[in-house]
Amino acid sequence: MVAAVNRVTQNLVLTLLGCAVLRISAFSTTYLNYVKPGFRPFLIGAGAVLVILGIIGLVQSFRQKESSSGSDGEAHARDHSREPTPYDLTSQGSGDPAPYDLAAWHLASQGSISRGSAHGGSGDPASRDGRAPGDEDHAHGHDHAHGGPRIAWLMCLPVFAIFLIAPPALGSFAASRDDTPAPRSQVLSAFTPLTGDGAVDMPISEFIGRAWDDDKKSLTDREVRLTGFVVPARKKGQWYVTRMQIACCAADAFPLKVAVKGIEPPPTDTWVEVTGTWIPQTFGKMPNGVIYPQLSGRSLAKVAAPDEPYE
Amino acid sequence: MTRMSELRTDPQRVWIDEEGPIPPDSWGRETSSRRALPWGFAFVVILLVVGRFALTPHLTAPALQTWATVFVAICVQALPFLVFGVALSAAITAFVPASFWTRTLPGHPALAVPVAGMAGAVLPGCECASVPVASGLMARGVAPSAALAFLLASPAINPVVLIATAVAFPGQPLMVVARFGASLAVAVLVGWLWLRFGRSEWLRIPSRPQGDGPKWAQFGEAMRHDLLHAGGFLILGGLAAATLNVMVPREWLTTIAGVPWLAVLVMALLAVLLSICSEADAFVAASMTAFSPTAKLAFLVVGPMVDLKLIALQTGTFGRAFAVRFVPLTFALAVVVSALFGWLLL
Repeated sequence: MVAAVNRVTQNLVLTLLGCAVLRISAFSTTYLNYVKPGFRPFLIGAGAVLVILGIIGLVQSFRQKESSSGSDGEAHARDHSREPTPYDLTSQGSGDPAPYDLAAWHLASQGSISRGSAHGGSGDPASRDGRAPGDEDHAHGHDHAHGGPRIAWLMCLPVFAIFLIAPPALGSFAASRDDTPAPRSQVLSAFTPLTGDGAVDMPISEFIGRAWDDDKKSLTDREVRLTGFVVPARKKGQWYVTRMQIACCAADAFPLKVAVKGIEPPPTDTWVEVTGTWIPQTFGKMPNGVIYPQLSGRSLAKVAAPDEPYE
Repeated sequence: MTRMSELRTDPQRVWIDEEGPIPPDSWGRETSSRRALPWGFAFVVILLVVGRFALTPHLTAPALQTWATVFVAICVQALPFLVFGVALSAAITAFVPASFWTRTLPGHPALAVPVAGMAGAVLPGCECASVPVASGLMARGVAPSAALAFLLASPAINPVVLIATAVAFPGQPLMVVARFGASLAVAVLVGWLWLRFGRSEWLRIPSRPQGDGPKWAQFGEAMRHDLLHAGGFLILGGLAAATLNVMVPREWLTTIAGVPWLAVLVMALLAVLLSICSEADAFVAASMTAFSPTAKLAFLVVGPMVDLKLIALQTGTFGRAFAVRFVPLTFALAVVVSALFGWLLL
């Protein structure tokens, strides 16, 4: 019953991937390392669909396994006589010359949907002959024979990555690799005045926006508190408190950096809360090249990495 | 022997050794094909359990972790859209009768192409959703040229993407107009060209189960089939995109930004390589401050139509003969049309 096992394997792969997605979205906040918080319902939905599809498929194939008899071999003989050419392309097993022969596996996959999908629209009436309602075994022999495509194995890779590497949020490696300046926050043309006493908590993006674009210079002489991770700077006497900003997922992340002066650099990638005041830039116009706003640090506290690592 | 050839473990190192973080044991293994199917999955599970204790403490190199984060992010980001697209496609084949499309779309394919392109404005999905939907449309008898116009238009001109573009380019409404116009123009042009010059043997239209069985069983079956195919290719594209994303330093690009025609071409190529979701690419384009608006427009027009994960998905869905013709054609047209629109509007 290799055919049925093959079917089982397909469904197991789907279920496994679904479980991995649920693991990072429904049962933990790991998904925040990869996508925006608002994406959670979609992830849970997608994971649930995968798991449900896989489990239904498993149940179905176990039922069929019980009800099927020994006529499987006959079904296969018929398959071969029916359409020898396309399927032979993938039938060479490991002797396949090009492991990446997409057209070949694709042809093979044509037969995999279910009975009746025997081949890719060639319209061969013979492909329909095995689908009489009472002819379960033959029909299924045909299906499973050309079951899932080999490339479906790749769906195990994210599962390996999630469970074995457990990719963390992007850190100093990504932040120092990418030296593009952060996009100017064009929307924040009207900055509200900073009120209250003591240090003001603000996102690093807001600090950068106020530092460069605020005509009223609202940051002047105000103590602010920024939270981010530590990235070493090439210049001496400073380091960057950094936060990655993502628009959609971690693939489009870019670093928001503020140069901190006057405090010894903590170990790279530590999450810190740094309190200090803005050092107004001395140049009138933005110079060319990459430049970061500066903060004169007063105090520093180590903090745990936040659940939501990106801004 | 045919029946053991699928979903089995055989030496596929081409994909894995270069890009895979941890080539699973099962990939390189020569097992007898009769045993391969049940054992393949068992190896996966064993490797997961053992690797959790044996490998995880050693897989901590920053470059590897960054790569893995980007890879998982691309997969995780695209998966819900893929599931959504696959479900929609399966619903089209299982629940919408074929006669619906012949009634809705104009009878003449040359007219059906622009109508299908405009219809792309309704599906709020990214490009991963549009490939299975287009294949479902073809399987239901929609003219391939019209389905292709829909495939190209829908990720680029749907409302979600246009709003994201407007947010990313505040005060530049012309960017949204140019993106809409250029994307629709490319989609329709490619559809017409395919109608005029395309040959049916290049395009492998996936066949669907029809007729027997309850509709829900057909629906589930079609979904499972599409997921197994498109899912594998999506992940292949994610592997390539994550690798390039981590390896190409973006500051190289700013030096190129000065030469106008080169900048357009480079941004178009970058869109292909980075494979960013069409709902996010506007923000990335906006962050490339060194480039001209026309170059950014090229990035926005090419990205949803041609990128690594799409190429993989299209190859998997429609066949290689299709992809080697369709992808270069789309890319060239997208670059030319966006240069034209950029010159006219921006």
